[in-house]
Amino acid sequence: MTGEWGIYIVLYFWLAAMGGGAFLIALGLRDERARRSGAFLAFIGIVIGALLLIVDLGQPARFWHLLVGFHPVSVMWLGSAVLALSGLGLFLLLVMREWPGWLVWVTAILVLLVVGYTGVLLMATARPFWSGSPLMPWIFLASAYTTGAALLVLLGNREPGLHRISFNFALIEIVLVAAHLIWTYPLAKNAVQAALTGDLAWAFWGFVVLGVALPLYMEAQRRAASLAALLVLAGGFLLRYFIVYAGQTGVLRF
Amino acid sequence: MPKPNDYAILFDASHCTGCRACQVACKQWNDLPGEATVNTGSYENPPSLSSMTWLRIKYTEGVDRGEVFWDFTRDACMHCSSAACVEACPTGAVNYREGGVVTVDQDWCIGCRNCVQACPYDAIHYDEEKGVVDKCTLCYDRVSNGLEPACVKACPTGALHSGRYADMKALAEQRLAALKGAGYDQANIYGLAEMGGTHVLYVLLKHPSAYGLPVGPVTEKRKVASGWLSAGIAAAVLGFAGARWIAERREEVGGER
Repeated sequence: MTGEWGIYIVLYFWLAAMGGGAFLIALGLRDERARRSGAFLAFIGIVIGALLLIVDLGQPARFWHLLVGFHPVSVMWLGSAVLALSGLGLFLLLVMREWPGWLVWVTAILVLLVVGYTGVLLMATARPFWSGSPLMPWIFLASAYTTGAALLVLLGNREPGLHRISFNFALIEIVLVAAHLIWTYPLAKNAVQAALTGDLAWAFWGFVVLGVALPLYMEAQRRAASLAALLVLAGGFLLRYFIVYAGQTGVLRF
Repeated sequence: MPKPNDYAILFDASHCTGCRACQVACKQWNDLPGEATVNTGSYENPPSLSSMTWLRIKYTEGVDRGEVFWDFTRDACMHCSSAACVEACPTGAVNYREGGVVTVDQDWCIGCRNCVQACPYDAIHYDEEKGVVDKCTLCYDRVSNGLEPACVKACPTGALHSGRYADMKALAEQRLAALKGAGYDQANIYGLAEMGGTHVLYVLLKHPSAYGLPVGPVTEKRKVASGWLSAGIAAAVLGFAGARWIAERREEVGGER
């Protein structure tokens, strides 16, 4: 490890998107209990995610330096700010009996920013695999909805729309990933090859086969919904794994 | 853009012999340890910058139509006026100092490495032992006391110059005219427009891409703006689609629950 963004970042991207996606989807459901469990999942994802980010710092004890300045151009700064504020918003929702409408809105927007900024963060780098196409935020958002819906299914929510969301967004996601690989190939050959046939092929093909194709098939057959949901969650992890690591291949270290 | 009185360095590729005196002087002045490297099939060494190597000479070598070519460029922080590392830094630890110099405040840096990912010149690196990032300081400790940067001081061929930005720019233009006059049609100055204008200017004999330099690097501000734009459209399109699917499906199944 020479300071690359590694496993903590992958886990953070995955947990925050999964919890955040579950919350955003749950807001669209009628069920009051689903909304509460969505808020709880997002809170857990964001708190654990934030802890992972702090542990990942070279100087974890200085994490508060992030919160005392104002650097809106820095996607990292903005991400930390919305992460902290969305955690606060979700906490308030969890302790309140009645949810004030404005707080739900504000928290929803903050959670959406948490889910979406990670894609912007990667786009705003000099790594061609991340910045070569504008699709990173699309992929992360689509995956947040796929995994968020899967998480709600796994926890026993029976809302019929969830299956459709998980199914449709998984389809969108695989199309976006394919488009991204083709788009960035001329700029980031090493990264794309690492994902398709190289060191990261296990993660990429694991994502395609176990994380998307198999659960889609199981959904279509209407079988083993829980197992399908579990596979979708694993796929969300593998997706972020190969994206984060592939973006940093070819960065020569010795 | 850099101000006329800013500190600046000029690298003249037409005078560089690749001796790497600058590379060694940088290590000495800044107390940077050597690195254990392996042969990568080139005389170039080390193969990239790191937290312990702030400057190196990059060798571009090969055969073109039967002619061997061996080109050298300085590879180090360019001290950009619109620096990606500064704009990506979430704490302000990497910042512009007096005279346009870009340095790291290592007591404030948190070690998030966002600057490492953002720099188009791969010139800022993470020091695992210190847990913070490190890079060329344009020898701020020397230039602010009236001395030349260590690399410039050590250069035996006149490939490196330092001084006021306006003087370095004038010297670059003078060298460019001389080279064009001598038949180097491809000669050009790199760094006048890149990243808001860099405080290190290069006079090159070939197109910048021939030396592996980024051509027309996009500033961090523009990348961030297009990132948020893309994310905004994605959130609207995907959010709308998701809301519709839930609503439609609910109508289809009606009173199933």
